[in-house]
Amino acid sequence: MQHYAMVINLNACVGCNACMAACAMENQTPVWSNKWRTYVHDIELTVGDSARRRFFPRLCNHCDNPPCMSVCPTGATRKLDNGIVFVDDATCMGCEACALACPYDARYTFEYRDVAAGKKFFGELIHRESPSMDKCSFCAHRVAAGQNPACVQTCVTSARIFGDLNDPNDYVARLVTSGVAKPLLPHLGTRPNVFYIGEINLG
Amino acid sequence: MYYTTQHYWTWWLALYLFLGGMGAASVAISCLTDMYLKPHPQLVLWGNLSGFMMLNIGSSMLFLHLLHHLAVINVLVPTVLLNKPDAWIAWGTQFIVWMMLLSLLYALPYMRASAFFQKLPIVNKILECKLIAWLDAQITKVQRIIGWLATLSSIGTVIYTGLLLQSFPAVALWNNPGVPILFSISAFSTALAFLLLALYLAIKDDQDHQLIALFERADLILVGLEIVVIFVFFQYTTTSSESARHSAHLLWNDNGWLIGFLTLGLIVPFLLELKGVIHGWKGHAPIIIAALLVLNGGYLLRYYFMNAGVYGMPYPPHAYSVYRAPEQGINQMTIIIPEENPQVINGTSDDLVN
Amino acid sequence: MSWMFPVLSRRNFFKASCGIAGLTLLKPSTSVASPAALPQDQAEKSYSICNFCSSLCNIEVTTRTIAGVKRVVKLDGNPHSTLNRGKICARGQSGLRQTYDTDRFKQPLIRVEGSQRGEMKFRAVSWQEAWEYIATRQKHAQIKPWEWTMIGGWTSCVFYMNWSVPFALANEIPNIVASPMQHCVATGHFGTDSLTGNFNIHDEVLPDYDHAKYILLIGNNASMGAVSTCRVVRFATALKNGAKVVAVDPRLSETAAKAHEWLAIRPGTDLEFSLALLKEMLDHGYYDSEFLRTYTNLPFLVYQDAQGQWQLARDAEKRPLAAEEGTNHIRTLPAYTNKNTRDVEGQPFYPALVAEDLVWEGRPVVTVFQAQQAEIKDCTPEWAEKITTIPAATIRRIAYEFGTTRPAIIDPGWHGARYGNIMMTRRVQAMIQTLNGGIDQEGGWVMSGEFHHKLEGFQHAKAHGEQLPAPMETLPGIEFVNMLVNALSKGENFSHGHPGWGWAYAAQQKAAGQPWVAVPAIADEGMKESIEGKLLWRGEKYQTRALFINAANPVRHYYSDAHWKEMMRHPNMELIICLEVLPSDTTPYVDVILPSSTYLERSEPNIYGNGVNSDLAVTTRYAAIEPLYDSAEAPDVLLELTRIISGAPERLFQAMERLTRLPAAAVQDALEKQRQAGHKAPFSRACREISFQVTAQRLGTTVENLDKILREKGVYPEAHWRDLLKTAGVPRKLPTTTPSGRLEFFSSIFEGLRMQGATGPHFNVLAGYFPAQCRADKSMDEPLAADEFYFTYGKTTTVSYGSTNSNNPVIAAINTLKKDLYTGVWIHPQRAAQLQIRHGDAIILTNTLSGQTAAGRAYLTRQIRPDTLFIHSSFGIENPQLTRSFGMGGTATNKLIPHIVEPVVAGFRSQEFTLRIAKA
Repeated sequence: MQHYAMVINLNACVGCNACMAACAMENQTPVWSNKWRTYVHDIELTVGDSARRRFFPRLCNHCDNPPCMSVCPTGATRKLDNGIVFVDDATCMGCEACALACPYDARYTFEYRDVAAGKKFFGELIHRESPSMDKCSFCAHRVAAGQNPACVQTCVTSARIFGDLNDPNDYVARLVTSGVAKPLLPHLGTRPNVFYIGEINLG
Repeated sequence: MYYTTQHYWTWWLALYLFLGGMGAASVAISCLTDMYLKPHPQLVLWGNLSGFMMLNIGSSMLFLHLLHHLAVINVLVPTVLLNKPDAWIAWGTQFIVWMMLLSLLYALPYMRASAFFQKLPIVNKILECKLIAWLDAQITKVQRIIGWLATLSSIGTVIYTGLLLQSFPAVALWNNPGVPILFSISAFSTALAFLLLALYLAIKDDQDHQLIALFERADLILVGLEIVVIFVFFQYTTTSSESARHSAHLLWNDNGWLIGFLTLGLIVPFLLELKGVIHGWKGHAPIIIAALLVLNGGYLLRYYFMNAGVYGMPYPPHAYSVYRAPEQGINQMTIIIPEENPQVINGTSDDLVN
Repeated sequence: MSWMFPVLSRRNFFKASCGIAGLTLLKPSTSVASPAALPQDQAEKSYSICNFCSSLCNIEVTTRTIAGVKRVVKLDGNPHSTLNRGKICARGQSGLRQTYDTDRFKQPLIRVEGSQRGEMKFRAVSWQEAWEYIATRQKHAQIKPWEWTMIGGWTSCVFYMNWSVPFALANEIPNIVASPMQHCVATGHFGTDSLTGNFNIHDEVLPDYDHAKYILLIGNNASMGAVSTCRVVRFATALKNGAKVVAVDPRLSETAAKAHEWLAIRPGTDLEFSLALLKEMLDHGYYDSEFLRTYTNLPFLVYQDAQGQWQLARDAEKRPLAAEEGTNHIRTLPAYTNKNTRDVEGQPFYPALVAEDLVWEGRPVVTVFQAQQAEIKDCTPEWAEKITTIPAATIRRIAYEFGTTRPAIIDPGWHGARYGNIMMTRRVQAMIQTLNGGIDQEGGWVMSGEFHHKLEGFQHAKAHGEQLPAPMETLPGIEFVNMLVNALSKGENFSHGHPGWGWAYAAQQKAAGQPWVAVPAIADEGMKESIEGKLLWRGEKYQTRALFINAANPVRHYYSDAHWKEMMRHPNMELIICLEVLPSDTTPYVDVILPSSTYLERSEPNIYGNGVNSDLAVTTRYAAIEPLYDSAEAPDVLLELTRIISGAPERLFQAMERLTRLPAAAVQDALEKQRQAGHKAPFSRACREISFQVTAQRLGTTVENLDKILREKGVYPEAHWRDLLKTAGVPRKLPTTTPSGRLEFFSSIFEGLRMQGATGPHFNVLAGYFPAQCRADKSMDEPLAADEFYFTYGKTTTVSYGSTNSNNPVIAAINTLKKDLYTGVWIHPQRAAQLQIRHGDAIILTNTLSGQTAAGRAYLTRQIRPDTLFIHSSFGIENPQLTRSFGMGGTATNKLIPHIVEPVVAGFRSQEFTLRIAKA
């Protein structure tokens, strides 16, 4: 069985936002409310007068120990066998506990007005019928068809890399086990599956 | 690292937490009093029915807050405890549902026997019908059991909110054992205050001296304990992780917390009740004021806890362009970075993994 | 872990109850199956070409049919494309929402009677009525052919040149204004082109970042940051392989953020930096001398004439001379070749780069190499440091690193219209790249497959004395420019005797002793004078009274916006037509709006090359869906306009046959059949049909096979770039299209302009220094006033130039998310503090040269030099009908920029002033 994970190489991200657009189109996220499943942050770091610019893509970490799943009372949030933490939007009642539980701010609300707006925007192609909490699904539907998540597929610098931690030959697996790629906030015990290669630029 | 509060559960949820804790604890106290201290139909009616109404309002508020209302059925069915026993909202929903039912059931015989309800149109018809009469008889046979079931489910309702908040790992202010304890103390304290108000202002039974004295004493102890726990929280938040420190900064710089909650919600009622217990007061006014202040404190406690919970993340929350300096008060704040430009992290060369 | 709770599912319960050795936390039960994949069987895939920048990425289009309606649901990079390698950027991904944009024009519109240009007041009409209106206006106002001007945008240039230019010639319209000529293609690029022989460097050179070890980007965010996907996917490999990246930019752009070194140069001083680099490299031998000797004209001998101008030493037959290394014997070299290794007698020759004490015909002569060194002898790193604020030691180090690391790339750069000396800067860049031998070389600049293909054909025809057919399709590089310029600049090419008004105006200016533009090709210099009746040709007014605007938005992206509004509103302007997709800031100023289809609704009328891809391939678009609205295709519009203007549509077919590969008779036949079948856009369809036939024949395959491969893969590969380099590499295998066939340090092209009477440092035959003039009477290093700043602007990653795709809801949402960053005016906190300007404050900017003002909001950041302001030029939209762009805020840069041009190509000098700011 696969154990999907993503590596994000901060040295490669040019802040082009292609992943945000790809995800929105693939997953019909509510662009009209400016809520996204993934963000590319454009962060300025300064010491004194010097400045550095960091582009920081982030998304749901599909934790192995997901607090959002534990607190979910309806069972709408569940972890698939392949490691993806998935939200069943028909079951979810939208109590928002998962949003409070998530340390990574991965969740957002998909409300009645978003459903209405979505029907106008996407017409009969709209995937969902009911409001719910939502988040990145690692494009589980694409992964099921043997494809990469939309963000990974389009990333122009291949800053996002997708793979299987259970496959020792997998590039992502090697990046993670080598320690080059590290997770966020590991001390919280969430056991996330998105790993970052930090900037190694000393210039 | 960026530090931010959340905007999902704010005053609306705080109001529910307040009503839920107070209502449930009222039921527990009323039932236990009626069962073990002295039979007290009036107290049960006030306690259980008020508790029922408070939970009614509270649950309605929760219901309205949902994104997808119809899906609430997924937590109303008791099988949810088999599917998701790790989710405190699942437990809480069950506790609330059963508590509401049981509090009504326990109060039912008293309702039927009460002059007030016998004169109430429509309600009196329902109470007189055969089914209700039969129910009354059954309940009376197993009154203790119903009472205990009501009490236990009420206590469950009281405690689960604290455990729910504790289950969010990213916020130091919430993710500690002090929260369930604090919320439970506060719930019972506000319930006692409410029942005192009922006894003083509504029931007004001269036979209740001792009961009132007991409640006052109990409330005094609970308020005192609450002050101790708040002090412990102060120590904890000011010496713990960054998340905790930011929460501390938010709370201890906010006049609403300092004056509204601490002073008016805890210290002043403590002192009023202390004098009441030790020396006694001439009239009822001081205790009534103390009780009202305790109620106010109960709400503010939860309001501030929801709004002062701080998350630390390696990126700004997506609404990055909205920020205020901390001095302006907690209820205007979503981001806590006193910077000239909310995107900029000053002073440190940032490390990716903390 | 406080939130973990042992889950007592049936399975776990038994496990737990049967021996609990340590109550370890049990994993929660997981469901077995993944959610079902979305119904793939209803999805269809087709291939197209993205329309949002010059990368021309190949895309894969997914459509889905539900309830009988076929909709485009997703765009992705075409995985079969070696151009963009299966990737596309945010604009590409969002592109389908342009097709479904609710603000689109849905039918033809005519201006409401009584309303003024500037008011977006139109009424919907049928196509018939629209054409009748145009025909009536044309006839009534008796608009002569030379009184028409075509205004084209980038889309119409790249995709519809094969119709636009024949249209111009068929209707005898000598006037085309097209962006981005004065913005980049003619300005900066021309500098590079003069050395390499290209026409349009960023459409003809794709640097091989994959194999480069050192990448130097000067004033260039467009390649990486803005995003040119075909470049970025290669740059990603460079980063992964540990290439060193240096970015020279006044601001911390997306590119600079990825660089190992960000050199925050003072704006307007790129030339100083580049010259210092060049001098260092020449002086210290950081160059591939074998390459330079052999393939460039650095060994040519030159002398200084009485006026101090460098002239080439030539024999009686005008052939160049060079000295032999070691012996100093002077020999004659062939006039046109790629190699200096044989003289005109066919004898082996080893030319010297440096020759001392040479005399020829009584004059002292030196090599171009030596002349170039002399020309920039004062351009030391110390000198550059003073103006650029880059330390001299850094400049020396960069010169050393670049010059000794091979392969290396100095990225050619894009937007040249910032300063009058950018063209020279790009020449110097090209020289620097050449010094490393990095022209058409792995890890260096690599010419596109198309360029190589055309060049091979060109050189073959030249060698055999043959005439090339279809010059628009076959002429490579500068040859193409020459053809176009010759066509439009000579009045004798037209029966009415008028050249383009740009040329007429240049002649008028020159005769009056006023500043004149040497090559006003496809430029707007002189347009205003023509409209106002101030331009004379042969004693008569040369008026401009009608405009046809195709996919262009000059009110927003030419300079200034007031200038263009004035021109379009002028009472002499009789008729303005535009072909457009969305309401832009230009559409309120026209009389007739013709709705265009979007790229996803279109099967292209042509088969195209694969853009700047180093591999040779052909590609086209297949319409993913039927047009949503009553829209038109450009070729059909041009055909109908031909009928209206000339009364003879067959002239268009004939012009096309002369210039492109489409035979007139075949096209006419096909057109007739399409018409009879009742198809929409019959001319476009006919051209596509014939194009398929012609291309299939050239490729040596059948139409069916070509169609099959294009449907299945989106691209039809012809040759791999490494193979092309072996036969057509310039200059190693073939001469390039410069007049001498070599890479030209001594520019024959500028020599030619000089001979026409163009004087001044812009026309220097060698690289030379002249400063940008941002200060009225001060040099750039003198202190600025407290509220005074230098100015620079650039693109966002999300919006194409000044286009309407800021209205795309996905793009608009991203821009809104990062609104402060994208729409704010970037100011350094130090300067802002001095002016008591806080983050988010409303400010007024004033151009100290022209007095123009604009409003903005302060964005405080240390990512910009303290002496500089930066604005993203994608915003400041004024037309409320562009509902999502309007109200986004931002500052329209062309409100602050006056119409000032440099004298070579009328390139805009859009940053040569300072700005003052104040709190609003």
